[in-house]
This record gives sequence, C-alpha cells and structure tokens, in this order.
Amino acid sequence: MSERVKKAAKPYLFLLPMVVFAVGFVYYPFLKTAAQSVSNVNFRGEITGFAGWENYRYLFSRREFSIALGNTLRLALINVPVTLVITVFLAFLCAPVRRGHTVYETMLTLPMAVSMASITLVFKVLLNPSVGYLNYVLGLNIGWYEDRHTAMAGILMLTVWMGIGFNFLLFLSAFRSIPPDILGSAELDGAGKFRTLFAIQLPLISPTVLYVLCTNMIQAMMTSGPILILTQGGPSRSTLTMIYLMYTAGYSSANYSLAACVSIVTFLLTLTCTLILFLMERKRVHYQ
Amino acid sequence: MKRIRDTGLTLLCILLGCLVLFPVFYGLMGAFKTPAEFIAYPPTVLPASFLHTDNFRAVFTQVPMLRYFLNSFIVAASSTVIRLVLAVFAAYAFVFFDFRGKKTLFFLLLGTMMLPADTVIITNYQTVSRLGLLDTYLGMGIVSFVGASQMFMLRQQFMMSPRPLREAALMDGCGDMRFIVSILTPLCMPALATLFLQSFIAQWNAYLWPLLVTNTNAMRTVQVGITMLTTIEGTNYEMVLAASAVAMVPAAVLFLALRRQITRSLSGGALVG
Amino acid sequence: MKKLLALLLSSVLLCVFSVSLAQEGPVRITLWHSMSEEAGVLMEGYVRQFNETVGKDKGIVVEAVYQGAYADAVSKMNSVLTGKQYDVLPDVMQLDATGKVSYAAAETAYTVPEALADFPGTSLTLLAPAMANWQLAGVQLGLPFATSTTVTYYNKTALDSAGFSAPQTLQDIAALSSLARDGVTVYAAIPNTPTLANWLGQLGSDLVDQHNGTEGTAARLACIDNGALAAFLQAWKDLYASGALVNASGSTDEFVAGRQLVMTSSSSSIASLTERIGGAFELGVAAYPRVNAQSAAGATVSGSCLVMFDHGDARKAAAWELEQFLTSAPVQADFARGTGYLPSNALAEESDVWAQLVREHPQYQVGLTQLAETPDTMRSVTVGPSADFYYGIINDISDMLEEDLSVEETVQLMQDDLGGMLAQYLRANP
Repeated sequence: MSERVKKAAKPYLFLLPMVVFAVGFVYYPFLKTAAQSVSNVNFRGEITGFAGWENYRYLFSRREFSIALGNTLRLALINVPVTLVITVFLAFLCAPVRRGHTVYETMLTLPMAVSMASITLVFKVLLNPSVGYLNYVLGLNIGWYEDRHTAMAGILMLTVWMGIGFNFLLFLSAFRSIPPDILGSAELDGAGKFRTLFAIQLPLISPTVLYVLCTNMIQAMMTSGPILILTQGGPSRSTLTMIYLMYTAGYSSANYSLAACVSIVTFLLTLTCTLILFLMERKRVHYQ
Repeated sequence: MKRIRDTGLTLLCILLGCLVLFPVFYGLMGAFKTPAEFIAYPPTVLPASFLHTDNFRAVFTQVPMLRYFLNSFIVAASSTVIRLVLAVFAAYAFVFFDFRGKKTLFFLLLGTMMLPADTVIITNYQTVSRLGLLDTYLGMGIVSFVGASQMFMLRQQFMMSPRPLREAALMDGCGDMRFIVSILTPLCMPALATLFLQSFIAQWNAYLWPLLVTNTNAMRTVQVGITMLTTIEGTNYEMVLAASAVAMVPAAVLFLALRRQITRSLSGGALVG
Repeated sequence: MKKLLALLLSSVLLCVFSVSLAQEGPVRITLWHSMSEEAGVLMEGYVRQFNETVGKDKGIVVEAVYQGAYADAVSKMNSVLTGKQYDVLPDVMQLDATGKVSYAAAETAYTVPEALADFPGTSLTLLAPAMANWQLAGVQLGLPFATSTTVTYYNKTALDSAGFSAPQTLQDIAALSSLARDGVTVYAAIPNTPTLANWLGQLGSDLVDQHNGTEGTAARLACIDNGALAAFLQAWKDLYASGALVNASGSTDEFVAGRQLVMTSSSSSIASLTERIGGAFELGVAAYPRVNAQSAAGATVSGSCLVMFDHGDARKAAAWELEQFLTSAPVQADFARGTGYLPSNALAEESDVWAQLVREHPQYQVGLTQLAETPDTMRSVTVGPSADFYYGIINDISDMLEEDLSVEETVQLMQDDLGGMLAQYLRANP
C-alpha cells in the first residue's frame, strides 16, 4: 500500500460511513419498496413472485385508498394555506423590533419545541366533548374526534398549531432581512402598511414562502402521528391518511406489497408538489 | 404617538402569543387537577391548587417514566452524536479534498432529503427486524444517522476555514483526525452546538419510528410511553395531561435556554433545508 | 470499530456463558402472556404456584412476562418470525385468534399433536368447543386457556322499572327504543369479524369459506349466495331505524355510567363490570342476541390459547408441563371465579369452586350454557388479513347506516372490499 493510494483513498474513507447509511437506510429501502410494490410479498416480507401492476390495481380499487387520498389532499390543501396566512400575518406583525420583542417571539416560536405526542394528548382533552374546554368556550356540544363530520377539523386544528412555531420563525427572519432602506423609501412614497406588505415585502420574502409551502406540503402529506394517537383513521375512515394506511397495511396486517404501493404513491405525490412549486418559482419568485 | 402605537402592538403580539400557547398552558394546568375538578361543570383552566401533585406521582409510579426518559435520552443523544460525526466527516471530505465522483457523491447524499423518511419506514422496519435490532437502542437510532442538511451546513461552515490552514497543520505533522478534533471542530463549535440541540430535540420528540421498533415497555421512549397511557387509562384525563407535561418539559426548557442560538441557526440554514 | 467488535464479542461470550450456566441448573422457560389487571395478577400467581409445586418436583422454573395486549404480543411474535430470531420466542405464549395463521406457519411451532406424540399418556379433559376454536387445518395449535364468549349485558334496574325483560333478539332490543332519552342510549354497536360471524352463524351461514377459514385459507365470502348477509343487514337496518341502535362502538364507560342500557361484550368482563358498577344498578346478563326469533341461538368461543415453541427437548417437556398445569381444572375454576372467563376444563365445572360461584352469581353460568347450546358448526373466523378484515366490516356496515346505502349496495360493497382482501392475501401468500 503506497502513500499515494492511501492519500487518494482518504476522502472516500471519510465519506464512507455516511454513504453506507444513506444507501442502507434511504436508497436501498426506497428501491426495495419500489420492488415490493410490483411483487407478491408474503406476510413475512419475502417476495414470492412478480405481480406487475396487480398490487396497484388492487390498491386503486380499494375504497380505503380513494378515501385516504382524498383526506390527505384535503388535509394538505387546507392546512398549508391556513398555516401560511396565520404565520405570515404573525411574523409581519412582529417584524419591527420593539421593546420586549423577545417575549412574544419566544412565545410564538415555542410550539416548535413541543412534541407531537404531548400536544396531541392535550388536544385530546381540550377537544373532549364532556370535559374539554373548547366546547365550553364556544358553547358547542361536539364530540370532535368521535364524529365523522368533525374529526378532520379537529385534526386540522392540531396540525395547524404544530406548524406555527417553525414557520413563524422563518418568516420573521425573512421579514427582518429586508433592507430597511427599501421599506423606508416605500413609506416615503406614502404607501400604506398593507400595500407595502403585498407590493414589496411579500415578493421579497417569496423564496421563504416557497420553501415553507414546499416543506409544509410534504409534511402535511406525511401526517400520521396525531391520527395514530387520536382517531386510528376513524370514525368511519374520516381521518384515514396515506401514511396511516401504509402503517396499518404494512405493520398491523403484514400486507407489505400494499404498503409499498401506498408509499410509492405518496412519494410521487410529494414529488409532484415539489415540482409544481418549483415551476411556479421560476415564474414568480424574486430573489434579492 | 409612535410609542403608544408600539406599546399597543407589543401588547397585541403578546396577546396572540398567549392565544397560541393556550393549549400548552391548559395542558400544564390540567396536570394539577383532581379527577373531580375535571368532571365539574363549567370546566376551568386553572386548578384549585398547585399542591395537588398526585398525577405526577402517578405518572412516575404507575408507568416506568424514568426508564422512558432514560431510553429517550440514550437514543436522542447517541443518534445525534453519530449523525453529527458522520456529517462532519462527509463535509470534511467535500471541503478539503478533490477527488473523482465528488459531485456525484455530494448529490447522492443531498438527494436523501428528497425521500421522506416516512415513506420508507415499513421497509426500514423490515430491515431492522431482519438485523435483529428490534427493541434495541441501535435499531431505534440507526435510521437517523444520515443528516444531509447537517452535512450541508457544516460544509458551508468548513468552507470558511481556508484550505491553507489544514495544509499548515498537516505540515506540522498533524493528522487529519487531529486536525478535525483539535482545530476544525473548535472553530465551528457554535454551529455544531446548535445543530446538536436541534437534532436532539427532533429525536427526543420522534414518535412513529420508535413506536414501530419497540415492543416491550422497558424500551419505550417518553413520547411513545405517554400515548400508551391513554389506552390503559381510558378516561384518566388529568394523568394523561400530567404525562404529556412531563414529556414536554425537557425539550421546552432546552429550547428556552438556547432559543437565541437555535433560532439564529435555523433561520439562517432554512433555505437549504 | 475495535471497540465495537470487542463489545460484540463480549456480549456473544456472555450469552454463551449464561446459556451454559442455565443448563446446569433447573430448566428455565419463559411464558408470554397478555393478561392485565386482575387477570394478570392471577396469571402471575398461577406461575408462582407452578414453580413452587410441579416446577420444584421436576426442576422447572417459569418466568412470566407480560407482553401487552394480544395485538401487541402478536405483532411482536410476527416481527420475531420475520427476523427469524427464533431464540427470542418464549416456550409458551398466550395467543388470540389473530395470531393463529402466522403461528401455524412458524418453523419452530410446537403443536399439540406433536406434544401428544412426544408425551404419550397425557389425557386432556378440555371443553370441546374451546378446543375446536384453536384448530387450523385440522391441527390443534394450542390448548384453550382464557375461554370466553360474547354475551348481552343489560341494565336490569332500568329495564325492570320500564317493564321489559332481558332482550333475546335484535327485535327485543328495538322494542326498547322508547327508553332512549337525551343522554341515554339503548344499544351501541358496530358489527366486526367475530360478532358478524355469530349472527351469520345463527342464520346457518359461515362468514367466509373453508368453514370460516379453519380448514384452509379462506378465499371468498360464504354468506352472500345463501342470502344470510343480506338478511342480517336488513335486520341491522331495522334495528337502526327503530332508534334503539347508535352506530358507534359500544362503550363500557357509558354502560357503567348508566347512559347505555344494553351492551354486547365478552363474558370475561362480568367480574370487572360488577365491581365498576358497584351497586349503582343491577347487572343483567343474557345470551347473545339472536338475529330474529327463528334463528339459532349462540355465539362462538373467543379468548386465547397457549401455544408452544420448540427450544429443545428439555424445554419442550417443561413447556408441556406448564400448559397442562394452566389448563387444569383447579386453575381454570379459580381463573373463572376471579374474572368471568369460562372454565376451559370440563372437570372444572364439577368442582366446588364453580358450583359455589354459580350458586351465588348465576350470571356466570350464562356463557357456559350458551357455549353448550351453540351449534358446533359455528366456528370463529380465521382470515389472513385479520386486522384489515375486522375494520373493513366495521367501516362497511357503519357506512350502510351513515350513508343510507341499500342492503344490496352494502352486500356488493362488502363483496368487493372484503372479498378483494381475501383474494389479494391468497395471491401474496399462495
């Protein structure tokens, strides 16, 4: 082993551990998932034959699938814009540095440190029909997570809440990174607060908006934790989501080929979302 | 005039902050309530007394909460350390070496961010179970060893320390490992520390994966353990809240203590994922 | 890397060492069980009793490990089987119906016929319907330990005061609709695999073919061509239309609080229900409701059995000892008294413990009588995709009521949904 070989091998050695895990736990499982989705896989996860599109055909024919797809898209398409509007508004309000700003900034970013499991359990109690506080305050008598018509709304409240902390933080720093002289000159021109927001600030922070749209969209499509803890996809499949469907198919029922199909479809969905958003970016987003 | 308006806006922001934090506050307060207070109508937010700590005591005696904490800590800390070590090595190779396939490998690693972890979770579960790693700390941590965004941010950090620095160090007979450990990492300590915290909090709060790969009570993490509580204690709301409060606190305290660093690094690195 | 290797090596050595150590002393075996609360205390007690008596004589030490609910234990078993880590498996395991298929396929399964061949001269006096419940394709997988059946619980105080007697049929439950008020419902239930199979069985039909999947892998629904499913769905619709049925899973909490008057649930809940009601009202127990006055009576056996895994001859012998002990008449009679499960051992019925129990609390007899009356053609259902199948039934029938589907539409829906699951399972697991 000469010095030269050793030297040439060095960077590869440094990269090796990370590449090994990236291949072993990201690329290999992805390819395997793709392979399982077109194979017959028995309940022990062994491939017993080639199935072609049969698994996909079966998946698409299942009622669960169309329901889960519909629920997932609905969840994403409501959750993402609502969170976006709320957090942009909050960040816009908090952007100017005032006295005591750290107080409310901390308050509004804290949700990002709260674990999904904890806050989900709190919502479970908060939205409980008999002891919960929400019904009392709103003067309602709704069994949020027990009624098929309101369960998704209850899940949405929770997921929107969970997204506030991080998005607020991103928008806040985006607003603050706008050079003050740009805003100053707009004010001199006599533009109102909201005019400057829509005409100047939003275009300037559009890269952040795009980033948030992208990541939130993917995250929303992956929603499964609150479903697992609160509703198990029910009542009557009203909160069944793609990843939850994948979880029950793959884990509870050992139907690995079906789980694989679901996860490939979900992956393609997220990919499509990302691509659409990036195409929009080429037209609309302004970089500073 | 401006001052009055500013004070008004500050108050408005604080009010909104309170609104957002209300569920957390409600949960914390509920943890001090007695069962009777919970059933009482109209429901209240504040407990009658903060001296009522039965729920917390129950959380620690009826389920192995300390064990859950230990498990969570071991998994979060060790997998975060390994993730950062791998990221440091990879970033080091990308910054200080020229080699064939550099671009390809870089995009290979960065590309892992395109594949959401949840979509391959069942296949990873099969792998881990085949390796006999179910119900082990290694099995719980192994899927989070790859941190592409951490690698990316460290790469940017390292690029600020010039190559001549390394060449000079090597000239002095310092090996690569020693250079990384005693020169490079101290230079990037602030960034490393925040990456550590951020990753630690994420691992501490993880749910789906630890749920899948643990199946004995002794190996559950806090997040999984507290949700198991609801199935045993169907209607014991105050205990559920006490458990979630207990699970919420460590990450929240860490966050509050180091908010400035965390938020700065997060908002700075956000656009790279 | 070196450290890791050293760690690995030392842990392997430690394992080898501890195994060799164990072989010198008594035979150590493990039992995985899923009994919690009162039943869990009893289970651990029996194991202790075994260790102090039979175990002491024969040099066997049993360690009992609680593995969570049946579903959790089955998931654990499945993942261990997938990983082929057979040494992690226990010697004896408490298994419910959802684990039958994967247990039967396990390489290291040690079934009852094998044990009977290895230990000739064993005589078993277990209840025939309970035994039959744990057969798959003619093989007796395990011995029944926790045997129960589904019965009707009702709020006797409320029904008596309104002049109603115990409901016998779904029509009787419908007749109670006048008792529904704000905050009080009559009956809440959504049929699932076992309860639907009960009602279909009363109409003389299996739910799936291969005799409800006990003789081979079920491939299709067996209750469509003979009209049984349609007949049941019509009866269920009628019940809903009467206003006595709430389309939601029954809740023990609601029943105990007096807000739900009728509940169908496992006979094993008698003891805990009596305790939780605590005298607030009188608990009535009746046989499982019949679909109509013409249909047969009865419901299938539910609960769990004890299966064994092969860990070498010495441990197999020990496991078989433990099985026999836990299913013996004294243990079964005591377990029945403490929980409400039915004694799985026929001799237990003749014991003083049981006689005294039934004298004081006649409700305990209801399940056993029902089991005797149930036609032995009625079998509980075994299908491959058991969890999906279970929720499929719940969702489809629930949709029928919520979306006001006709009976024909619902039959078609269930045909597509449940039949599709069976076909897909068969394709993946030939």
